[in-house]
Amino acid sequence: MVSVSAYAQAIVLLPFVSFVVALFARDNLPKGGAYSGIAATAGSLLLSLATLAAVYGGRTVNETFYTWAVGTGAQDWTLSFGALIDPLSALMLVIVSLIALLVHVFSLGYMNDEGEEDLPRYYAGLGLFTASMLGFVIADNLLMAFMFFELVGLCSYLLIGFHFREPGPPSAAKKAFLVTRFGDYFFLIGVVAVFTTFGTAAFAGAESFPHLAEAALGGDATVWTPGNMAESTWFTIVGLLVLGGVIGKSAQFPLHTWLPDAMEGPTPVSALIHAATMVAAGVYLVARMYGFYVLSPTAMGIIALVGGFTALFAATMGVVKQELKQVLAYSTISQYGYMMLALGSGGYVAAVFHLTTHAFFKALLFLGAGSVIIAMHHVEDMWEMGGLKNKLPVTYWTFLAGSLALAGIFPFAGFWSKDEILYETLIHGLNEPLLLIGYVFGLLAVPVTAFYTFRMVFLTFHGEPRSDLARDPHPVRWNVKGPLSVLGVLAVVTGGINLVPVKKVLGIKGIDVLHKWLNNDWGGIEGLSSHHYAKIGPYESGYLFGGEAATVIAGAAVSLTLALAGLALAWRLYGVADPAEHTAKLGQIRELLYNNYYQDEYQVRIADAVRDAASGADTFDQGVVDGVVNGVSSVSLLSSERIRRVQTGIVGNYALLLTLGLTTLLVVFALIGGWFQ
Amino acid sequence: MIIEALLAATFLSAVIVFALPDEYAPKTAFGLSLVPVAGSLYMWATFTGSGNALTGGDIAFQTVLPWLEVAGYTFQWYVGVDGISLPLVVLTTFLTTLAIVSAWTPIDTRKSQFYGLMLLMEANLIGVFTALDFFAWFVFWEAVLVPMYFLIGVWGGPRRQYAAIKFFVYTNIASLVMFIGFMMLVVSLPINSFGLPAITQSLAAGELGNFYFLAPDALAAVAFAALFIGFAVKVPVVPVHTWLPDAHVEAPTPVSVMLAGVLLKMGTYALLRFNFTMLPEQASAFAVPIAAIAVLSVIYGAMLALAQQDLKRIVAYSSVSSMGYVILGLVAFTEFGLGGATFQMIAHGLISGLMFMAVGVIYNATHTRLVGDMSGLADRMPVAVWILVAGAFAYMGLPLMAGFAGEFFIFVGSFGSTVLPSAPLFTGLAMFGIVIVAGYLLFAMQRTLFGPFRLETEYELDRAPIHDIAPLAALLAAIIVLGVVPSLFWNMILDATVPLLDLLGGGAL
Repeated sequence: MVSVSAYAQAIVLLPFVSFVVALFARDNLPKGGAYSGIAATAGSLLLSLATLAAVYGGRTVNETFYTWAVGTGAQDWTLSFGALIDPLSALMLVIVSLIALLVHVFSLGYMNDEGEEDLPRYYAGLGLFTASMLGFVIADNLLMAFMFFELVGLCSYLLIGFHFREPGPPSAAKKAFLVTRFGDYFFLIGVVAVFTTFGTAAFAGAESFPHLAEAALGGDATVWTPGNMAESTWFTIVGLLVLGGVIGKSAQFPLHTWLPDAMEGPTPVSALIHAATMVAAGVYLVARMYGFYVLSPTAMGIIALVGGFTALFAATMGVVKQELKQVLAYSTISQYGYMMLALGSGGYVAAVFHLTTHAFFKALLFLGAGSVIIAMHHVEDMWEMGGLKNKLPVTYWTFLAGSLALAGIFPFAGFWSKDEILYETLIHGLNEPLLLIGYVFGLLAVPVTAFYTFRMVFLTFHGEPRSDLARDPHPVRWNVKGPLSVLGVLAVVTGGINLVPVKKVLGIKGIDVLHKWLNNDWGGIEGLSSHHYAKIGPYESGYLFGGEAATVIAGAAVSLTLALAGLALAWRLYGVADPAEHTAKLGQIRELLYNNYYQDEYQVRIADAVRDAASGADTFDQGVVDGVVNGVSSVSLLSSERIRRVQTGIVGNYALLLTLGLTTLLVVFALIGGWFQ
Repeated sequence: MIIEALLAATFLSAVIVFALPDEYAPKTAFGLSLVPVAGSLYMWATFTGSGNALTGGDIAFQTVLPWLEVAGYTFQWYVGVDGISLPLVVLTTFLTTLAIVSAWTPIDTRKSQFYGLMLLMEANLIGVFTALDFFAWFVFWEAVLVPMYFLIGVWGGPRRQYAAIKFFVYTNIASLVMFIGFMMLVVSLPINSFGLPAITQSLAAGELGNFYFLAPDALAAVAFAALFIGFAVKVPVVPVHTWLPDAHVEAPTPVSVMLAGVLLKMGTYALLRFNFTMLPEQASAFAVPIAAIAVLSVIYGAMLALAQQDLKRIVAYSSVSSMGYVILGLVAFTEFGLGGATFQMIAHGLISGLMFMAVGVIYNATHTRLVGDMSGLADRMPVAVWILVAGAFAYMGLPLMAGFAGEFFIFVGSFGSTVLPSAPLFTGLAMFGIVIVAGYLLFAMQRTLFGPFRLETEYELDRAPIHDIAPLAALLAAIIVLGVVPSLFWNMILDATVPLLDLLGGGAL
């Protein structure tokens, strides 16, 4: 039987091969490389499912398959690549390869059918993107994770800037790479610090850094800290350094600004970035090394607050956007904020649950938006749409399912996962008031989310068509409808993998599959279970109204009511035949929201200030540093006039100069060496 | 004897090419330059040395012959390689061949002299990296300058003579300072040899005597400072870097490739061999100011690159920045620090070579290097442009390319250094270079390569010829191979750098 580790490597290699094929075979490929990409990702999906089954059967992997570099002396560290296959990574492999496959299929409709040029480059990018993300998912150590994290960043750069002949995409691509690179700077310091502190960057096992950190805090191990700093303080700092990369890639405040601009990329790429690759990578990383984060209450608190704040902050900006994809972009930032809130609040399973459901419904919404964009001949302004419901029935119904999930309406997938996040935050917040702030942020974001989601749905699909394009949309084919249908079903049913509230209220056992899965009930790796994280984590649970069931019901009732209220408001304002812009009612806040709280402005100002400083440095360098050099040379060697005369172009003169120089050296040598004595 | 054969073949090639008519020079030079490539690869494949050449390791391919006796000192013909010098020899031969091919398009006058000088420079560079007797080493060291001077001064741009003189005088004065410092040191040792291993081992044994009124400690400090200044100019580090951008801007592409790719490594190689191997106590005592210079070079060099409008100046200043990392790795004096610094010399040699070549290919086609003069080149010269993009990402330290390996080794090595006080702080500051480098390269690429096509010069743009692209592709392949399999060089480098840690009692951690 082939080892599970070999499966894992093949899962990563298949899309990589597709990348290489598309890169070199180029125009000789059918459909510009789409078929090879589909074949590769389908293969990855099958192997991922096999891996999932293997983990279900208790077969996990934690082994090195390639040693990149080793030290031999005092720093006898092994820098290596390995596979860590446990319930978390197996689940993520399935999500990533499934979304990648659907995105490839959808691209046939969005790119090939629309007559895009340079398709091999597109499919090469998709292949490398998928491979990088899958490599990141199976990573068994922080260094490998960082390396694939960076490759993911490269691919997003290449794909966001796919239409490089236009001015917008290259600029957006640059911004995406630069902003996330700023976060990765801290991440890289974190990786270096982890190696220096623990001598290893492995995620799992007795010799892993989370385990060593736990032991060090318990006094069972000693580790390096800078200047003999207290271990707990240092671990918090290291955790926050790594978090820098997470905040960049997962587009959390204040490094979220690249994501809305990244809409310049082709829509299927947006789906991949938002649902399963780049943005998901950050949150996945926190989940991957959760055993390290739970050791630091401060780091946990910061994660929760950043996440909660981002969830609300981004949701408010989604309220006023005109373009379909812009609304979705801000919703992504907001939803990843929820996941961070969950992670920071000790809701490990809730975060992974939302990562899963969000992957499906957000991929669905982006591909749905892509379908609308095809139909609308690449017009994205929602005010040009309207009434598409009857003309694009498959798109409409699937998009509606995704929207209900996003808005958190019972019984769609997003309801269950968002509800669990809020529930976990609440019960832990009852003993840790700081988390209650995060809870309030999260709760306030619920109606806002429902509102902007249904504003989008009503403006796009309901009412009367508001342009000629909307009256006569371009039809879409199977390659668009197929992926939408698959994701539509998933957006409805995925909540079923984790019906925790039902279990708690009705007492039906065994329907919280994801909880059991992540708790290693069917097998897993020691130290990587939700139970273990809860045990070593900083939080205690508290309940309202004296009971668990009552707390569950109260929490769900509040959030569902708020979601329905938001939906109802959107219906009232925009669910009419001829909706008007109501944003004027927001008064001055409107300007603030339109301008994204001026977050881009201040970052541009920072960039400008840096460039001004650079020009200043250049002037200083030319004037002062080089000025001194030229000054010295004109004073002490020859006058500048003479130097110019020396440059006669006559080789003999140069030879003379050279000879003189060497002779001088020799005379000095002779004097010091005492040849003349 | 293979080192002698390598040197002889290269010198002979230079002579042959000098004598050829211009029309045959380019291809003959390329063909002949493959001989040292094959030779150095053979040396790499059959390398059996172990340990550090200067501290008593087992030196590979060594020859020791008495040469001259002067004033009681024996001068030897003493060559050989260890794990530090062999990768640099391979880099030299590989890069020279590619630089020769990249010269086919831009060099159209006095071809036989041009290629002859390139080969002459290569021979001297091999000499620098293989010589183990100070006198032979110094002759090669100085002799490298001569072909370089002419290559810039004859085939360079409009201000070539200013740049050539500046380069020559600046580095020559530095050599003088270094030379005096080293002589003070050697004459105060109770030995009668200029063999670098003998000097190193005598110093390590604490045999340094007085130099007139200077006590050994003071003498060592003065000598360290003199050597450091001498080599720092060559590297170059801030603030003695200003000859570099002028030289690069005026030099033709293949010469820039050699200058950034190999000549700068002479400085860091010498720093490692002399300052950090012979005088490690002093290196440790001066750790803070040296680390400050390293950080300053990284950040200030990168800021200067950010301010430039000329593509070649951008790449030139980024070399200052990258070499700052090497200095940081050296001063940290740990296993990964010293090894990473050596690895980074190779990585940067390949990557800066690729960048200069790619900018050269663009210049060949557009006859401009100013960022504002063009945009959207990816539309017209896709292959060259996408290789340039790959090279830029290598420069930014993209994982699985050689630059990341070098930089990561340095960072991870220096963070916990016990030799350097506040090592985490210095490392963290230097690492900010990876953000600025992304800034200036991404800005430059966005403006020149992407967007709608526009060109402000009157030249027609065509796809670059195959002999312009081939060296780029070869370099990119080497960068990726070394990034994926750093152990090709890493193991032998460690083998030669780890013994150095004993000089300071085992190094960090």
